[in-house]
Amino acid sequence: MRRERRSLVEVGLPVLVIAVLVLVLPLFIPAFVSSLVTKMMIYGLFGMSLNIIWGYAGIPSFGHAAFFGAGAYAAGILILRVGVSNFWLNMLLALVATAIIAAILGVPAFRVFGVGAGAANPIYFLLATIAFGELLSRLAIALRPVTGGSTGLSGIPEPDLGLGFEMTSGRYYYLVFVMLAVCIYIMYRIVNSHYGYALRGIHDNERRMQALGYNTWLYKYTSWIVAAVFGGVAGVLFAYYGGTLVPNNLAMVTSDIAFLLVIMGSTTTFFGPLVASVVYVGVEYLASLYLPDRWPLIFGFMFVLTIMFMPDGLGVWILRGWRRLIRGAAA
Amino acid sequence: MAPLLETRDVSVHFGGLAALSDVSFGIEPGERLALIGPNGAGKTTLFNVLTGQLRPSAGEVFFRDRDITHASVFARTHMGLARSFQITSLFPQQTVKVNALIALQGTKRRRYHPFRYLMKDKEMQAAAQELLEAHGLWDLREATVSALAYGLQRKLEIALSLASDPELLLLDEPSCGLTTTESAEITTLIKRLGSKITVLMIAHDMDLVFGVADRVILLHYGKIMCEGTCEEIRANQLVRDIYMGSRHAGPGLGKR
Ligand SMILES: Nc1ncnc2c1ncn2[C@@H]1O[C@H](COP(=O)(O)OP(=O)(O)OP(=O)(O)O)[C@@H](O)[C@H]1O
Ligand SMILES: [Mg+2]
Repeated sequence: MRRERRSLVEVGLPVLVIAVLVLVLPLFIPAFVSSLVTKMMIYGLFGMSLNIIWGYAGIPSFGHAAFFGAGAYAAGILILRVGVSNFWLNMLLALVATAIIAAILGVPAFRVFGVGAGAANPIYFLLATIAFGELLSRLAIALRPVTGGSTGLSGIPEPDLGLGFEMTSGRYYYLVFVMLAVCIYIMYRIVNSHYGYALRGIHDNERRMQALGYNTWLYKYTSWIVAAVFGGVAGVLFAYYGGTLVPNNLAMVTSDIAFLLVIMGSTTTFFGPLVASVVYVGVEYLASLYLPDRWPLIFGFMFVLTIMFMPDGLGVWILRGWRRLIRGAAA
Repeated sequence: MAPLLETRDVSVHFGGLAALSDVSFGIEPGERLALIGPNGAGKTTLFNVLTGQLRPSAGEVFFRDRDITHASVFARTHMGLARSFQITSLFPQQTVKVNALIALQGTKRRRYHPFRYLMKDKEMQAAAQELLEAHGLWDLREATVSALAYGLQRKLEIALSLASDPELLLLDEPSCGLTTTESAEITTLIKRLGSKITVLMIAHDMDLVFGVADRVILLHYGKIMCEGTCEEIRANQLVRDIYMGSRHAGPGLGKR
């Protein structure tokens, strides 16, 4: 009883406060800032989705953009080439496509290269994940009539939510907010479920998990698909956000963003990558204003600074501070 | 009575090294069988073959008259086999309670449930409490395992191997590295296991062996040298030469 009330204050209160803040924020800030916040939410979801396999199951991937890009491209192609205009239908179909791609790529990833117990060397797995992203981006360049080749897809319209609801860029902010909230809720349930704790067990000690009766291969494989699907949601939201897609959205440069968000946010907290995304998008914006030519350097610096000064990540740091505050207030 | 578990001519080669050669033995339901032998004799290797971590180079393994030589590790656990590890094998970043919960749901269908909170599963919580209380670990349930003293980690190691309610329990040096008092506790614990459970254990600790075992097998250089009751083994000159005498003789032999 006491514990439940405490977790209500510790977790429920900040979530509620932040949610309300984000909801009323557009009333007080200029449009370009709410557009930045939209991007923070999209990238935050992208980072959190990678964290499901990396932070929880202990499977790092350098190619998570393959799924972000797959979702984005699937949505773009469905709208521009197939003519599916409804947002919800489009989202559903794009996620099915992403899941299928992840299911196909997951077979060689886990069966041939392998990671965890019994794998020859996880480096092969990591290289394979890079290769997947590069492969898909090459495919996006090659399949010009469908994907628009190296110039990509552009002119993706505002999403059509049906029921005659008219979408504007200002309202898109709220759509992203709702999608993010729903995804966070589902992901939170997953990582705290029976299945989610099995992933944590695999992270800590896969051999013991097998000895305890777990088919760890199946867990690794399915968590890879789950992470891909949430990455795909971020991708679809991104496609509508910018209205433009390029092959690089599938490649290493984009995977690096998710990778940085997880490192910066911490692999041991659920919300870490979301916080990191706020910092990341902020820095990216400032850099685009003042040091547009130095972006790769700044990007690298964020990695280095995190590892040097905050190796546990922002998430852990915030959690520690918050717990101390709560305990201080209670005493 | 048909043996619960049986091996037929099991051999394992690591390159040129014959870790096991033509090992054949059986264990009866309810029996306590001890596997002894000097370091490097192949005891752990035999366990790895029995539980499926390792495929034998030749030979077969039967469990309840079923050929399980090629069954996966987790499938064997579901059939009723469980093991503990010589080198402590836990979930170091999780709490004691989470360790127990993960172990307990391993053979339950709900281990795949992707949406129900594990922490709010009353049945699992009660099972975890029961398991941890039985091993004197309930008071430490919120402690992170990596911060636990070694002796307590060894207790948890055994607790986890009992979580699946196995028919056959394989214990790999359960009291490895423990103090005399702690070893005695482990001996008591194994003695207290019900007769429904069959135990095969590797042990260097002769108090444990003679205190618990019905029968003893001596493994040496991957071969079964002799087997018999505790009295027979105690009296056997070969055992003295190879094993018990060597406790005080050669380096790298005997109790670690
Ligand atoms: N995976 C492996 N690859 C190569 N050699 C191995 C492997 N596992 C074990 N060995 C070798 O096989 C032999 C038997 O090892 P095993 O671990 O089974 O011995 P043990 O009887 O359990 O000894 P201890 O009392 O030290 O635990 C040893 O010589 C060991 O070095
Ligand atoms: Mg051994």
